[in-house]
Amino acid sequence: METLYQSLVAVEPVTLIANICNLFIQMLIIKKFFLDKILAILDQRRNAADKELNDAKTAKDEALNIKKTYEDNMLQANAKANEILAAAQKTASERSEKIIAEAQSSAAQIKSKASADIAQEKKKAINDAKNEISGLAMAIAGKVVERELAESDQQSLIDRFIDELGDQV
Amino acid sequence: MEMSINGARILATFENVPLLGTVHLTQTLVVSWLVMLIISVLCIWLGSGLKVTGISRKQAVAEMIVTALVDFVHDKMGTEFDHYIPLVGTIFITSIVSNLISLLGIWSPTADLMTELAWALVVFVLITYHKIKSSGIGGYLKSFLDPIFIMAPINVMSELFTPISMACRHFGNILSGTVISALIYGSLTAASYALFGALGSSRVIAIAVAAAGGGLIYLSTRNGKKAPKIVGIVLAVLGVLGLLNSFGGVFASFPWLTVGLPAITSFYFDWFSGCIQAFIFCTLTTIFIKQAAG
Repeated sequence: METLYQSLVAVEPVTLIANICNLFIQMLIIKKFFLDKILAILDQRRNAADKELNDAKTAKDEALNIKKTYEDNMLQANAKANEILAAAQKTASERSEKIIAEAQSSAAQIKSKASADIAQEKKKAINDAKNEISGLAMAIAGKVVERELAESDQQSLIDRFIDELGDQV
Repeated sequence: MEMSINGARILATFENVPLLGTVHLTQTLVVSWLVMLIISVLCIWLGSGLKVTGISRKQAVAEMIVTALVDFVHDKMGTEFDHYIPLVGTIFITSIVSNLISLLGIWSPTADLMTELAWALVVFVLITYHKIKSSGIGGYLKSFLDPIFIMAPINVMSELFTPISMACRHFGNILSGTVISALIYGSLTAASYALFGALGSSRVIAIAVAAAGGGLIYLSTRNGKKAPKIVGIVLAVLGVLGLLNSFGGVFASFPWLTVGLPAITSFYFDWFSGCIQAFIFCTLTTIFIKQAAG
C-alpha cells in the first residue's frame, strides 16, 4: 500500500473536531483522577494543620487558665496564712496582756492585803500593848495605892511609865 | 539526494461517512490518542494511593505539580478563575507530551495545525463568552465599532486572528523544529555517505587514518594533553568506520553521522522549544481570558 501524507498545513475538520473532543475528555480524566484528588488531599492537610493549630491554641489557653487558677489559689492561701498568723499573734498578745494584767492586779491585791494585814497586826499589837499597859497601869496603880504615895508622885510616876512604854512601842 | 517534508501520514481513509463525507484517519489523531493514554495512565498512577500525612515521593511530586499549576493560574488570573485550572493544566501537559513524543521518533500531533487550532478555538469561545458576559451582547458588538465604525473590519479581523495566531505560533515553532531536524538529518546522511564513501573506497587510506588517530591518542596520553586526544579519537573512529564501510553491506548503507549529532539540535528544537511553546500557549490562554473578563 502506498503511504499517503497530508500537506504540511492541512485543514481537516474531522481532526479538528476530534481534537476538541480529545481535549475535553483529557480534561475530565485529569480533573477526576488527578487534580480533584490532589486538591482534596491538599485541602484535608490544610484543615488538619488548622485543626492542630487550633488545638494547640486551646491547650495553651487551658494551661494558662490552670496556671492563673493556681496562682490565684496560691495568693489566696498566702493571704489566709497571713490572716491566721495575724490572728494568732493578736490572740497571743491579747492573752499575754491579759495574763500580765491579771498578774499585776493579783500582785496589787496581794500587796494591799499584805499591807492591810500589816496594819491590822500593828493595830492589834498597839491594842494589845494598850491593854497590857492599862493592865500594868492598873497594877501599878494598885501598888501605888498600897504604898500611899502622894498624888503628885502618883501622877509623875504614871506619866513617866507611859512615856517609857511609848518609847518601847 | 531527495528529501520531502510532509504533513501527518494518512493511515486510513473512510469514504462517504454520514454527515462528514471523506474522513482521513491521520497519524495526528492516533498519536493524540496515544498521548491521551500516556497522560491518563500517568494521572491515574499519580492520583492513586494518596495520603494526608507520611506521603510518598510520588505524591510529593504530584502535589508539587498541582501546586505549581494552581500558583501559575492564580498568578496570571487571580483566584476567581479556579474552574479553568483543569483546562490550562490539560493544554499544558498535552502540549508538552505531544511536543516531546517526537524524541521517540513518533509523529508529534502538535506538528499538525489542527491540534493547536482545536485548543485555540476552545480558548476563543471562552474569550468571547467572557467578553459578552462582562459587557453584554450589545456592548460586545459595539466594541467592534471602537473607536470609529470604519475600524469594524479590522476589529473583527483582530478578534478572529487571536486564536489563529495562538495556534500558528505553537504550530510554527514545532513545525520549524521538525523541518530543521529533517534538514539536519538529511544533510548529515548525505555527508555521512560522502565521507565514508571516500574513506571506504581505499582500505589503505582508512587504515592510515585509523593508525594516525591511534598514534595521536597514544602520544597525547603520554603528554597528558586533551585536544590532540579528542582529534585522535575522532580520527580513529572515522578510520575504523571507513574500514568497515569498505567491506560493503549493512555498514556501507548506514548513515553513521546521524548517530548522536542530531541530539544537539534536538535539544533546542524539541526540548526547549517544546516546553517554551506549551508555556506560552498556556500563558496566553490565561491572559486572554482574564483580559476578556476584566
